[in-house]
Amino acid sequence: MRAILARHAALLQGGAFLLLLLAAWEAASALGWLKPHSFPPPSRIAQGAWELALRGFPEGVRVWTHALVTLRRIFSGFALAMVAAIPLGLLIGTSSLLDRLCHPPITCARSVATLSLLPLVIVWFGTGELSKTLLIAYGCFWVMLSNVIAGVKYVDPLLIRAARSMDTPAGRIFSQVILPAALPRIFAGARTALGVGFMVIVGAEMIGTIEGLGALIMEARNFYRTDVTIVGMLLLGAMGVGFALGMEALERRLLPWHRGLSEVRR
Amino acid sequence: MPTVMSGTAPAKIVVARVSKHFGAAGAPVLRDIDLTCAENEFVCLLGRSGCGKTTLLNIIAGLTPPSAGEVRVDGVPVTGPGRGKGMVFQQNALFPWLSARGNVEFGARRGGLDKAAARRLAGELLELVGLAADAERYPGQLSGGMQQRVAIARALALDPQILLMDEPFGALDEITRLDMQAELLRVWASRRKTVVFVTHSIMEALMLGDRVVVMGDGGIAAIHEVGGERPRSRGDPTLIALHERIWQGLH
Repeated sequence: MRAILARHAALLQGGAFLLLLLAAWEAASALGWLKPHSFPPPSRIAQGAWELALRGFPEGVRVWTHALVTLRRIFSGFALAMVAAIPLGLLIGTSSLLDRLCHPPITCARSVATLSLLPLVIVWFGTGELSKTLLIAYGCFWVMLSNVIAGVKYVDPLLIRAARSMDTPAGRIFSQVILPAALPRIFAGARTALGVGFMVIVGAEMIGTIEGLGALIMEARNFYRTDVTIVGMLLLGAMGVGFALGMEALERRLLPWHRGLSEVRR
Repeated sequence: MPTVMSGTAPAKIVVARVSKHFGAAGAPVLRDIDLTCAENEFVCLLGRSGCGKTTLLNIIAGLTPPSAGEVRVDGVPVTGPGRGKGMVFQQNALFPWLSARGNVEFGARRGGLDKAAARRLAGELLELVGLAADAERYPGQLSGGMQQRVAIARALALDPQILLMDEPFGALDEITRLDMQAELLRVWASRRKTVVFVTHSIMEALMLGDRVVVMGDGGIAAIHEVGGERPRSRGDPTLIALHERIWQGLH
């Protein structure tokens, strides 16, 4: 028991601190220091969550629907970005000419905030699902692309020399040396891209839909339901954490050697 | 500089008037190098950092083309890396995503073996370098000395006639380094190869080589024959005297 306590001391301390903060927040609200309308206390947020789960907000659209719709949009955009960025990045990364040519436009495109494209996307593709998927895909794409390029470009030249010294043909050097060496960076890119997807979704769901956590957050604003807004934010945050953990687990499974390496270097 | 050959063994590697400069107007890194290595000879290239010894090794390996002159192996000019030449680098040249066994198998496959034969040979070679128990570990989980044992096994897996070693123990601590020298001699005794071994340690060159080729300023400054059976004793007075001569010659 004591051993278990010791092992999870940091977690317990963190949890206790969080509870303390929530209690202070609740107390500040009860004592009238915080306006419940602007800063809904935890109890009120819990009520909002309960209402979302039973009746839905707007009426009939329950929290599961919001979450699932959001997930579906993030995933379709994310998948589209992966399918486009991985082969393109591998191609650009292996050619120094292409890399030089593509570097300025990529940097430029990355610098444009995804949501500033919203007006154009509406004009071109309307306000339906396609626009939302494309916006998310756009946000994920550039992050992924630059990481795939960097992953291929910055493979340790010594590994390539070692492969060459064994008379490995170029095609094999690509598939058996450059690709596996670039994988950790490609994975890191995918993780970051998924994070971008979670950021873009709220803006993408501002238009033409009442389903999805982004829509929920915006809709709640119109009714001064700050508690519902916060529930939406918490759900997005929880989903984000869930996926980050999932990706890490996947990475540990697929790249066991990489974990071994970091263990030694730590 | 006359080319010196030990004994009457046939020439395995001939370096003929090799020069190298990088870039069009670059200062020459190597100037008119002539060197002949006999079959199964252990030759050490010794010199300071930047004296061109690694460049010469890369040219022999076929990884870097010479600016002038040529290298012949068994009388055939070297035009690129070939499977007859196994190479061991200073460090971190193992594929980190492959286990020790996977790395050695990679070499064996490149040497032309099928999967099953490569697996068998990898097992044998890991046994030879004393890593049979660590075959499934990744390079990142092995110590520097163990990594270099794997690197030697990987180079041997090509079944090369020539082993080219670029300061393979240069990044190891002194004690491990001495262990690895003994280990290399043991392995070399069981699989005779022509070895070209680059080092910046005079003692290392004297412990390992049949001949020590001292390089300086882009050329060969001196060639010393080292006598005596291996493993040699570090306290051997003739080695200590030779150590002093080489040291004096470098100044």
